Amino acid sequence: MELLDNLMIGFSTAMQWNNLLFCLIGALIGTMIGVLPGIGPVPTVALLLPFTFGMPPASGFIMLAGIFYGAQYGGSTTAILVNIPGETSSVVTCLDGHQMARQGRAGTALAIAALSSFFAGTVATIVIALLSGPLSKLALSFTAVEFFSLMVLGLVAAVILAHGSVIKSLAMIGIGLLLGIVGIDVNSGAERMTFNIPEFADGLGFVSVAMGFFGLAEIMTNIEKPSQRVIVSQRMKDLFPSLADLKAAFPAALRGTAIGSILGVLPGGGAALPPFTAYAVEKKIAKDPSRFGRGAIEGVASPEAANNAGAQTSFIPLLTLGIPSNALMALMIGALMIHGIQPGPQIMVEQKELVWGVIASMWTGNLMLLIINLPLIGMWVSLLKVPYRLLFPAILLFCCIGAYGVNNSVVDVWLMLGCSVVGYFFNKVKVETAPLLLGMVLGPQLEENLRRAMMLSGGDFSVFVTRPISAVLLATVVVILLVLMSPAILRKRNEVVES
Amino acid sequence: MTEASEKTKQRPALEELLFGLFLAALAGGVFYATRRLSVGTAGDMGPGYVPQAISWGMLLFGLFFVGRSFVIPGERILPPCWRALILIPLAAAVFSLLVMKAGLAIASFLCMLVASAASSETRPLEILVFSLFISAGSVLLFVRALSLPVPIFPW
Repeated sequence: MELLDNLMIGFSTAMQWNNLLFCLIGALIGTMIGVLPGIGPVPTVALLLPFTFGMPPASGFIMLAGIFYGAQYGGSTTAILVNIPGETSSVVTCLDGHQMARQGRAGTALAIAALSSFFAGTVATIVIALLSGPLSKLALSFTAVEFFSLMVLGLVAAVILAHGSVIKSLAMIGIGLLLGIVGIDVNSGAERMTFNIPEFADGLGFVSVAMGFFGLAEIMTNIEKPSQRVIVSQRMKDLFPSLADLKAAFPAALRGTAIGSILGVLPGGGAALPPFTAYAVEKKIAKDPSRFGRGAIEGVASPEAANNAGAQTSFIPLLTLGIPSNALMALMIGALMIHGIQPGPQIMVEQKELVWGVIASMWTGNLMLLIINLPLIGMWVSLLKVPYRLLFPAILLFCCIGAYGVNNSVVDVWLMLGCSVVGYFFNKVKVETAPLLLGMVLGPQLEENLRRAMMLSGGDFSVFVTRPISAVLLATVVVILLVLMSPAILRKRNEVVES
Repeated sequence: MTEASEKTKQRPALEELLFGLFLAALAGGVFYATRRLSVGTAGDMGPGYVPQAISWGMLLFGLFFVGRSFVIPGERILPPCWRALILIPLAAAVFSLLVMKAGLAIASFLCMLVASAASSETRPLEILVFSLFISAGSVLLFVRALSLPVPIFPW
């Protein structure tokens, strides 16, 4: 059984004591930023990236992945206790989770959320293990033509869940591609758009760009709004759910896991779609839909399961095809490249320990979260009392230090500064910045594959539609675009994204 | 649409117009920056081919948004909060100007103080103590524990 062998390799990597430690650190940091509103996983991962360069790649990635799912846990904790979703993914958990808390069942809600997430995480780990092998084998037969089409599909699909206008998001991808192209052209050695700044010859640092757009620009936008007061008054009791609760929650968690696993794999599946869909499904199949919004336990179990399953299966396109499905995965790709690992199907073969170690660590990480987080809830809640007026100068400082740490150069801090101003402008005109980051990370590869494909075909663009796999991929792009542009779907999508 | 939200609509749609102009300006900037790079042919692309091809796309997108801004009504944009827009980047600038010369401790402390001035909710005494605490913590965490190669003090 190749699959079992691979999982064994993975667990032997994930169970090394230093990797367990990094997994724990990542999960704890993740939970912390998940609890704190106003800082998300993207700037946190960007901030910590430079400090993973010295580690073995597997340890670094295990920690960064831990931040990602830790943040989901933290986000749902605050959603239940104080009705503030720490992350977008936990918006739905507020609906019934906080109602349960108000009925004095906060402990049960938290336990159900944690157990559902753990269950979903376990299943998703198996899904990743099952799907990754065949998918990467398929992708190994790809040539430059197919990779180009695949990247186009990945970029366009990622637009599906961007808020606001589809056309604006496409334009943002273009801006990202341009940013990604800055630097020395590998084929001709010519400097492109470096403006004679020697530090830009290797390309713009995506860490600085990400922190500028997601860290600093967010601060500038947040300061404008008056801060909310947080009242935490729940007392924790009956942490362990009753048998009846478990009976009600389990089928819902099962459905949520299935929904999350499927939607997470889709490029652009992102954080919002799985929990929203799962909640909608639960409400639809319930015997008495009016219970929802009043503390229905299924309304906590299913979205939480979907959320966690989706978060983990969104690693599949990254690991097998080298295509990021959201901004965070784009950062992960950048991190791989800094470690000298070219993302793509070949990493499943060449970097077995890394890939399977990260996959297995998701399971150990989820187990740790389950065990440590429930007793630590009091501590997380007290974190919520730190007001934003203290938080944001600290976040800003950490971003500066992080940007400096990438190359030990202040040029990256200046780059971050520039991006923050542009990012503020983007927030003002209400365009989503995530597609830009995806474009930026994929830009160099997209260009390289386009040039190689065109070189082979002698400048004939029809090669993209005459090769079958490429034709199917591009046809999917066209269908997605047509569907997205149609007014009826557009309205539906806005309802889902914005509700 | 309620009546109240109708009133906040305006023409030209400022969001669209500004974004469109931004894209057009960006395309212009790329054309200028890549003017000396050879473009080549589709079969043998030069370094200028892809950037210029994307810029044409950006220009089209830009013109589309500019055009659309005069057709559809847009939301009113709140005026920018200049205090945050100036002070947050300024704080980052203070950090990058000071970090090598004055060391991480002083750069961190001043960076946080400048940043905190961006919010009207900041309390002076509180932020002084907090900044001292975080700066000291950063020095310990990043320089001592994570061995970031940067001076701590100016001497």
